Amino acid sequence: MTLDKEHSPALDPGDVDDGKPILEIRGVAKRFDGTQALDDVSLALYPGEIHALLGENGAGKSTLIKIVTGVHQPDHGQILLAGELVTIRSAAEAQRLGVAAIYQEPLLFPDLNVAENIFISHQDRGSIVGWRRMFQEAEAILAELGVALDVRSPARGLTLAAQQSVEIAKAISMNVRVLIMDEPTASLSAHEVQQLFKLVKDLKRQGVAILFVSHRMEEVFEIADKITIFRDGRLVSTRRRAEATPQRAIADMVGREIDLLKARPTTARKDPILSVVDLGRQGVFEGVTFDLHRGEVLGFAGLIGAGRTDVGLALFGVEPATSGTIAVAGKPIVVRSPREGMKLGIAYVSEDRRQLGLILPMSIVANVTLPSLHRFLNRFGLIRTALERRTAESFRSRLAIRTPSVAVAVAKLSGGNQQKVLLSKWLNTNPSILILDEPTRGVDVGSKAEVHAIIAELASEGIGIIVISSDLPEVLALSDRVLVMREGRQMAILDRAEASQESVMTAAMGQRPADSASGRAL
Amino acid sequence: MTGAGAALKRWETLMFVLLVAIIALNSLDSRYFLSIGNFVNLFQLSIEKSIVALTMTLVIIGGEIDLSVASVMGLAACVAAWTFQHGAPMPLAVLLALAAGIVAGLNNAFWIAYVGLPSLAVTLAGLIGYRGVARIFLEDRAIGGFPEWFNQLGQQPIIGPLTASIVIFFILFVFFAVILHSSALGRMIYAIGSNVQAARYSGVRVGLIKTDLFVASAFVAALAGVLYAARLGSVRGDMAEGFELDIITAVLLGGVSIFGGKGNLAGVGLAILVILNLRNGMGLANITGNTQNYVIGGLLVFSVLAPNVWQDVRNTWRGREI
Repeated sequence: MTLDKEHSPALDPGDVDDGKPILEIRGVAKRFDGTQALDDVSLALYPGEIHALLGENGAGKSTLIKIVTGVHQPDHGQILLAGELVTIRSAAEAQRLGVAAIYQEPLLFPDLNVAENIFISHQDRGSIVGWRRMFQEAEAILAELGVALDVRSPARGLTLAAQQSVEIAKAISMNVRVLIMDEPTASLSAHEVQQLFKLVKDLKRQGVAILFVSHRMEEVFEIADKITIFRDGRLVSTRRRAEATPQRAIADMVGREIDLLKARPTTARKDPILSVVDLGRQGVFEGVTFDLHRGEVLGFAGLIGAGRTDVGLALFGVEPATSGTIAVAGKPIVVRSPREGMKLGIAYVSEDRRQLGLILPMSIVANVTLPSLHRFLNRFGLIRTALERRTAESFRSRLAIRTPSVAVAVAKLSGGNQQKVLLSKWLNTNPSILILDEPTRGVDVGSKAEVHAIIAELASEGIGIIVISSDLPEVLALSDRVLVMREGRQMAILDRAEASQESVMTAAMGQRPADSASGRAL
Repeated sequence: MTGAGAALKRWETLMFVLLVAIIALNSLDSRYFLSIGNFVNLFQLSIEKSIVALTMTLVIIGGEIDLSVASVMGLAACVAAWTFQHGAPMPLAVLLALAAGIVAGLNNAFWIAYVGLPSLAVTLAGLIGYRGVARIFLEDRAIGGFPEWFNQLGQQPIIGPLTASIVIFFILFVFFAVILHSSALGRMIYAIGSNVQAARYSGVRVGLIKTDLFVASAFVAALAGVLYAARLGSVRGDMAEGFELDIITAVLLGGVSIFGGKGNLAGVGLAILVILNLRNGMGLANITGNTQNYVIGGLLVFSVLAPNVWQDVRNTWRGREI
């Protein structure tokens, strides 16, 4: 593993004048089963600093986090907290030392109330629960954070953003000095991300050092003071934000230049493949009207909870629509189940890859052929395993799925490769309408570019594609037109010329542009 | 399915080694043990449970469970005996018994696949309910005196030393192995057993497949009940009571995951042989039934523990590797 000279660390962690580091990692290395997960990594984190870690999946960020939080022990190297050499043997020990971590999916107890969740790690408060005191303290912490939450209500039913706030409150209750945030924004809407960032900036002002891991470049450049890039278990560079650019960061991450968000050339044709008029599902969404043309990419933008996924589920028949009409290639149709959706040439690639998209313990082959198994039977009704395998192999090379074999369980693949298997599974049904829900969520930057290229290629083959995404730059780069939803209603359909971050967000936040398409009030 | 597949292969290897060891030990203990006659007898003694274990394997891999099988066996036998006693010719009585099995299976499937109740609860109700119906038919009587051909079905060898029940077992074993491991239905059973939601999103007709599973399970149980009646020559209301636990034990010992999605029929076949030989060997060695149960119970705990313990040991090694 050679370190490219050109990308050698641009900033030596030792020569900064931000005072003494609160957390210092010196020459840490970790090896798993023949893979060097971390190789001689040194990093310093200062109080009141937001330090972003960037890298593709498997670059070593997670391993570093697990070492700092006591989940793994390093093979070599030292960890210093406030100048003192420490050995962190468990997560509980990390918490005692003031190191806390919050993750993409908050780890709350759904049936305990907010206050109980905040104080769950405090087992030193005596054996009898002092409810009144606990509620008061929980309220005080939340008030300090500027978060309005009922501390008596159970965690079940809180929005993801509210759950993140509870996680942060939990960390504060433990007098956190180093807060690690591992992709905290991956499931949040743009508005919720801003709320979270406000909290993070407050913590920064209080002198907390924050290690921030994210795949979203814009966020990193919005909030981080320093940006460190990992690749193949090595620290490639650490730069101040002012000295870094997204292009340079991506180049460091993948070791090559990637043109990430160049707008896709349009391939939309004249004839509509899907016509939706006044579609609704009682209490969920209503008044959705659009045409999708062959070769067109129609983006669905909006905040999380705006009803975009519900429209997708209605079109595919998972949660059928209760009003309005759908026509496929000009023929009115009714979809009551995924099976009927599939028969009409509709494919829906779920946002929840692990729960709804793939069957993780099954092989790549079995996943790819599951929806179209009837095409792989011989005349006795038995599965033609050789044909199955050939099909999986062809998708493996076509979509560049990186795996030792197509017989491997999909659970063993990285997020990006799982996403490609999921795409293969639906492409194998030869759809004429492809609905992609968050196609690049939790996917590293290299695979993301590949997925975008695949989408462009599929559109050019004449498939009508709906892309539901909370990643606005992604929607803008891919889409021929953008449909914006808010609170279950269609706010606007913007042509490529009119669609911009500003115009889409304006519509998504409820300020209707003058030329809005649908104008019905609730 | 390499990862899981390799683990299962290891499990089957373990079962096979265990089987060879038991047979070797037994044959040291008693010279009579290795005779073909003993093997056939051995197999014959619980052939009905072995038959039902085949469909139970499919049901459990599909992520469900059928606790009502023994009561369906009893119900079917009672229906056959009662209708025969009330003047129906024996072939018709057998058909009615099989039909009763299908009705019981459809009833289970309705509540599980279409109403959406958990199979544990529905088939527990079935366990109690079908047994109740069987007892209503027969009250405290025993019915016997079946035609000679029917009794011979359960007792007379038809191919070499093999009885009709054993031949039926082998035919069904091959049939269900092909279904499970080579057909679209089998693939979908694994899919819904692993992740029913993802299967639904893939257009799999989950309700239909669950219906297939429960109807097949009850039908095969009814068939086994009829064969049991033929072997015993008489029928009582409490026939086959408690068999469901032995059947489920064999399936789990065969490496099938109680959580669904994992396992295969070969492992279950081996587990059946292990249990039979173990019990027989212990019997020949004058070990009492209670002690036998204790050993089988221990083996079951071991079968569930072993893969997890193995995983833990490996994780610990990995964690300490420096």
